[in-house]
Amino acid sequence: MADKVRTAAQVVGSIPDGSHIALGGFAIARNVNTVVHELIRQRKKDLTLSQCVMGMDTDLLVGAGLVSRLIVGGGSLDRFGLVNCVNRARESGGVIAIDATSLSISFAYLAGALGISFIPIKSMIGSEILARLEAGEAAERFQRMDCPFTGEPYLLLRAIQPDVALVHVQRADREGNCQIDGPRWENEEQAKAAHRVVVIAEELVATDVIRQRPERTIIPGHRVEAVIHQPFGAHPTAVYGCYDYDAAHLTEYVRHTKRSGGIEEYLERYILNSSDYDDYLHKSGGLKHLDTLKARPGLGY
Amino acid sequence: MATEHGSSSRAAQSVGGIRATEIMAAAGARELHDGEVVVVGLGLPWVACALARRTHAPSLTSIMEIGVINGNPVDTPVGLADSRIFHQSTCWSSFLDTLGMNLHRGLVDVGFLGALEVDRYGNINTTLLKGEEGQVTYVNGSAGGNDVASLARRVMIIMRHQKRKLPRVLAHLTSPGFVDGRDRAETGLRGDGPHRIITDMAILGFDPDTHLAKLLSAHPGVSVESIIENTGFPLLLPDQVATTPLPDEEQLRILRREIDPGGAYLNERFA
Repeated sequence: MADKVRTAAQVVGSIPDGSHIALGGFAIARNVNTVVHELIRQRKKDLTLSQCVMGMDTDLLVGAGLVSRLIVGGGSLDRFGLVNCVNRARESGGVIAIDATSLSISFAYLAGALGISFIPIKSMIGSEILARLEAGEAAERFQRMDCPFTGEPYLLLRAIQPDVALVHVQRADREGNCQIDGPRWENEEQAKAAHRVVVIAEELVATDVIRQRPERTIIPGHRVEAVIHQPFGAHPTAVYGCYDYDAAHLTEYVRHTKRSGGIEEYLERYILNSSDYDDYLHKSGGLKHLDTLKARPGLGY
Repeated sequence: MATEHGSSSRAAQSVGGIRATEIMAAAGARELHDGEVVVVGLGLPWVACALARRTHAPSLTSIMEIGVINGNPVDTPVGLADSRIFHQSTCWSSFLDTLGMNLHRGLVDVGFLGALEVDRYGNINTTLLKGEEGQVTYVNGSAGGNDVASLARRVMIIMRHQKRKLPRVLAHLTSPGFVDGRDRAETGLRGDGPHRIITDMAILGFDPDTHLAKLLSAHPGVSVESIIENTGFPLLLPDQVATTPLPDEEQLRILRREIDPGGAYLNERFA
């Protein structure tokens, strides 16, 4: 049996500057913060990020200045606020944003996962989103075509195959078989489209545990390169069945990102001065505080 | 936006103790028919959908893009990615299922959306705003909004009624309605397009020939003049403007006691 368990530092050390990374978070749920923190500590550069709905993971990476390009559908921190770092970078031209939609990005990942080079879609036609895409940086990724069978108009999307996909999951075994509880948004397609898959697992379990509910294995081990075991690894975002979002921390984060210069203070306090994620969790209130976020049985939050 | 707080005092904020948000939720619910499939976002669209399911439309299927079908929350969610939304669902899946194999497949009757700005053809902006000197402020973007507006059979919008939110020209066309007034099919879009705009002052529909927004009903206590005054684009007026019905006792009980007891959505001037 291949033991794929690695530390975040080992994994990030193997990700070159300039990589295209697909992030598995959605707003304030299952953000891949364990790896995001390490990317920031190792000061990676010139990253391209893709994701359907951006959350804190993308906002942190953009706020830390690691990102050149975004391929995204949208983003927010739900009622806690906006992705302020991303929005500020867009407004200042600090990042090139290829703004599409949740479905079109899912389709492009699906094409990547199926090993086909493009995929037809019916949305985005007639919108300024498409007009901007066709006139923008990534214009070569979009074509229009009528169906050769029916004549219906379609937009064609170039497939997306990210260099690395990062997905935070509830449990995985040492071989990388990983299970997601609750909805899985674009996680399956983005992972299967990627050249390399890294999962961050709340819980590291024996393969026998995986075998009890194989229908929940969204990404099978043979597709996974590395497993990082990190309890509370998505904090302050939520992991269904494990813990709720940390409202106080998210509020503090947004308070920082709302004003210019605030993100630097946040990064300094929580990430750059932390040796690893455990150290960050300690600084964020430690075990006693984290215990208050634990999911109640029967509710999942 | 959830964080916006207006100072307007002209909307039907409290008629006999009934809040404008409650009138809006009931109006939204009324437009949903039993057995239909709805893709819904969070906020008042979600409240309206939950109300319909608990009253006249128990067989309504509600789909959230994150991959949740018929969630049955017992606590009020703060967002689409809140685990509270996932509670007691009948299905957990993915964008590819919700927006792909349902919406793109052509099975979604109603797309129920919020908006930053809407123009007279029902085109929606959720991407950015422009200041007086042209400076751009980004907000949320499309996420699934464009997909829903492009592909659902009919689209309903819930929003606050303000001149700047109902402008002549959008700062950005994120999600298409009738685009420039042409038939949807001519633009390559599916469905019949925008159907209703439900605001805290009125309910708007669309003229079947010109596809221009038209006043259908004013909420109790709201004058037609104030609606016109608070609409940035020219609004078609019917010969006789109806009055939006108020929610009944049972609807109010469900809204206040069951769906949003903490007032997360109903206490806002607008959600």
